[in-house]
Amino acid sequence: MVLKLQRRSFLQLALGTAATIGTSARIAFAATNDAVTIGWPNDVPSWDPNQRFTPDAQPVFKAVFDQPLDQDPKLKLIPHLIKNWNLAPDALSMAIELRDDVTFHNGDPMTTEDFRYTFFERIKSGIKLDTANSWKKVDDIVIESPTKATMKFNSPAPTAPQWMAFLGSYVVPKKYIEGQGYDNFLKNPIGTGPYKLAEYELNSRIVLERNDKYWGPKAKIGRVTIEIVKDPSARVAAIQSGQVDCTLNVPVREVERFNKEGGFAAEIDPITRVILLNVRADLAFADKNVRLAAHHAIDKAALSKAFYGGAAVPLSVLATPGTPGYLPDFSFKYDPGLAKELLAKSNFSPANPVKIGLAATNGQFPSDYDIARAIVQMWKNVGIEADLQVIEYAKYFELNRGGKLPEATLYSWDNATGDPEIFSGYQLNPKMPFSPWKDEDIGQKVLTLFGVADYDKRIAGYRDLERYAVENGATMPLLQSVLTVVRKHNLAYTKYDNGWVLPQTLQWT
Amino acid sequence: MIAIVAKLIARRLLAAVPILLVVSALLFCILRLLPVDPAAMSLPPNATIEEIEAKRHEMGLDRPLPEQYLIWLNDALHGDFGRSIQFRREAGSLVAATLPVTIELATAAMVLAGIFGVSGGLLLFHLRGTLLEPVADLASILLLSIPEFLWGLILLFVFGVLLQALPFTGQVAPDLPLPHVTGFLLLDALLVGRFDVFLSACQHLILPVFALGLAFSPTIMRVLRSSLFDVYHEDYIQQARLRGLSEQRILLKHALKNASLPTLTLAGVQFGILFSGTLLIEVIYSFPGMGNLMVDAVRNADLPLIQAIGLTYCIVVLVINTVVDSLYVVLNPKLRVR
Repeated sequence: MVLKLQRRSFLQLALGTAATIGTSARIAFAATNDAVTIGWPNDVPSWDPNQRFTPDAQPVFKAVFDQPLDQDPKLKLIPHLIKNWNLAPDALSMAIELRDDVTFHNGDPMTTEDFRYTFFERIKSGIKLDTANSWKKVDDIVIESPTKATMKFNSPAPTAPQWMAFLGSYVVPKKYIEGQGYDNFLKNPIGTGPYKLAEYELNSRIVLERNDKYWGPKAKIGRVTIEIVKDPSARVAAIQSGQVDCTLNVPVREVERFNKEGGFAAEIDPITRVILLNVRADLAFADKNVRLAAHHAIDKAALSKAFYGGAAVPLSVLATPGTPGYLPDFSFKYDPGLAKELLAKSNFSPANPVKIGLAATNGQFPSDYDIARAIVQMWKNVGIEADLQVIEYAKYFELNRGGKLPEATLYSWDNATGDPEIFSGYQLNPKMPFSPWKDEDIGQKVLTLFGVADYDKRIAGYRDLERYAVENGATMPLLQSVLTVVRKHNLAYTKYDNGWVLPQTLQWT
Repeated sequence: MIAIVAKLIARRLLAAVPILLVVSALLFCILRLLPVDPAAMSLPPNATIEEIEAKRHEMGLDRPLPEQYLIWLNDALHGDFGRSIQFRREAGSLVAATLPVTIELATAAMVLAGIFGVSGGLLLFHLRGTLLEPVADLASILLLSIPEFLWGLILLFVFGVLLQALPFTGQVAPDLPLPHVTGFLLLDALLVGRFDVFLSACQHLILPVFALGLAFSPTIMRVLRSSLFDVYHEDYIQQARLRGLSEQRILLKHALKNASLPTLTLAGVQFGILFSGTLLIEVIYSFPGMGNLMVDAVRNADLPLIQAIGLTYCIVVLVINTVVDSLYVVLNPKLRVR
């Protein structure tokens, strides 16, 4: 009897505990109108926003810190901390005027002292910052008043305004860092942004609380919890179970499923990221006919339909629609017949194929390896036999440096500014580590464009270069990449063409 | 007995020195021979080839491999395991921040695996010779064939998505704070008196712990059953029966104790494997442990961080082996005879 009672009590206790756990777990899932939880794919590398160029972390940094200039949803450069700017015609200096109503989260006013510190002093001080590379042309920043200063460059910096709204360019507090110490800043970062960092746990979560004294439009939601969920399947499960209200970068097939089943708003948005084949100018690709044939043989629309639900726009140049360097009237056709003709000129055919190598990552970006396999098949049909090799993204630079990449490599390139210098300029610059294309002709054209100060001339130059590079087989743009977003129906956000999902634009409707 | 155990630990500590040296040298050489360029990875994408070369020189990557290793070893002996390329922080501090999470998860999973393993082993043994034996045998083989990450996904789908009964992202609910005292969340929650955090942390532990525990318990089950079979052929079991002891008493008081020795050895080995098995589980359940950090490190070719984590895994395995051997001495009187 005693034993039975004990067993019964134990069972009751166990069931009661399970019910309590289950109930409180469900309560924990419920969202309030002033809070939102986002399933985010990656953590920030550090809380020094100048330190690492990590595209995925930029929306988080933009919540806590402010950039001197900003971009509107269509990527047009707009004033932000800088009210006015004037790039000199020779691009050797840029005068700026800051707002006078901006304060850091601790109440200190933001002035040109902070601006000079961010873009000059701390770079020269030897702290390892990625911005040291983007602002290496800065010779000095002459302060004229708390709101006015002039940046002096040692060589033309025509894209300085674009870089003011790009990776790593966030104004940090001089007085706070120097007074409290750098390590303290990393632990308790403050910026001038619409949110304050309330809590941070490495590789786990970031909690943001609204900055009620923000100088600009106040964030609509008071508390944003960013849960770092690296596994795409776990992100899908998290949104489906209601543990997060919104998530990004889920597989395209899951977006299609969400749309079929209803219940959530699921979108596939094209962004300013291109998927391309980086090619060599030698080996079997020394033959221009082979390069052009390889490009004509790729059915980009079919790749988009198969792997991105048709949302990824086929590209003919290294720029995305809507950006300054895009050529809407230029099209590089999918024409397997022409590909065969070109190969025939070089004595190749499906019976006597030209042998090349194709390198691709597996999992670096959505469907990368599947795209590579499909290309191998498309090439086989016209007389190109490709040996597909899987490489780690981390190995790309080392293989390129040692000249060990094969004829073609599948690659993805992100450019939030949309500026053509950061598209084709970087991808074809022989002095940069990205492109395996090493060629005097195109290299010289690119290097010249890096020094063109006039905006219109620069853009026109890049448009010519893009067309020239594609027509000569120096690059093979494939598709505009996509960002997938799944959210609760009553959670709205502002769509940016570069894929930013900014916490400060979220609101419950 | 304490003296024997102390002597064993001292011997193990001495033996750990050459083992760690060999492992660190192997790790260092393998990582440096990989075709990755830590210099390029540590610079922004717009760095020129000349800047990357300068960085390679600064990082000492252009020096002979033995020289690079000796520099690293000297720094490591002074507590400096290098700076993480990705996080720009001391690799040692990153490991220290994430290790408690993994230890907590792995320990809880091992306890569960032990409970399931021992009770399952006893059940399998109990069913010997019955019609249910082949069914139980098949079930244990089926359990054995499911790896931890698959359990992770199955449990996440059933209890997280379908039933929505348990949370599966992170360590606590989004609206609760994470206390920082020792790094062990359950302990910290109790130390700061936050029982709501403790309860939430327990809820968040259930699925990952079950995923790991279920994956590692079948081996313990099967080894325990085999050991019991062996033990039951010993004379003292027959003598116990002749003395009129009940089957239950023979099993629990005599056979289990002797059969547990090989099981304990296996559990020690399993704990080492389970510790590294947390890698995928931490990623699936968004646990901020060392496995999760390792995934980042590998993805970014963060060689100093990979080296620090690899070495930590090695130390953990050595510690586990020492603990198991010490327990072996405690449980087996034969080993205490000089």
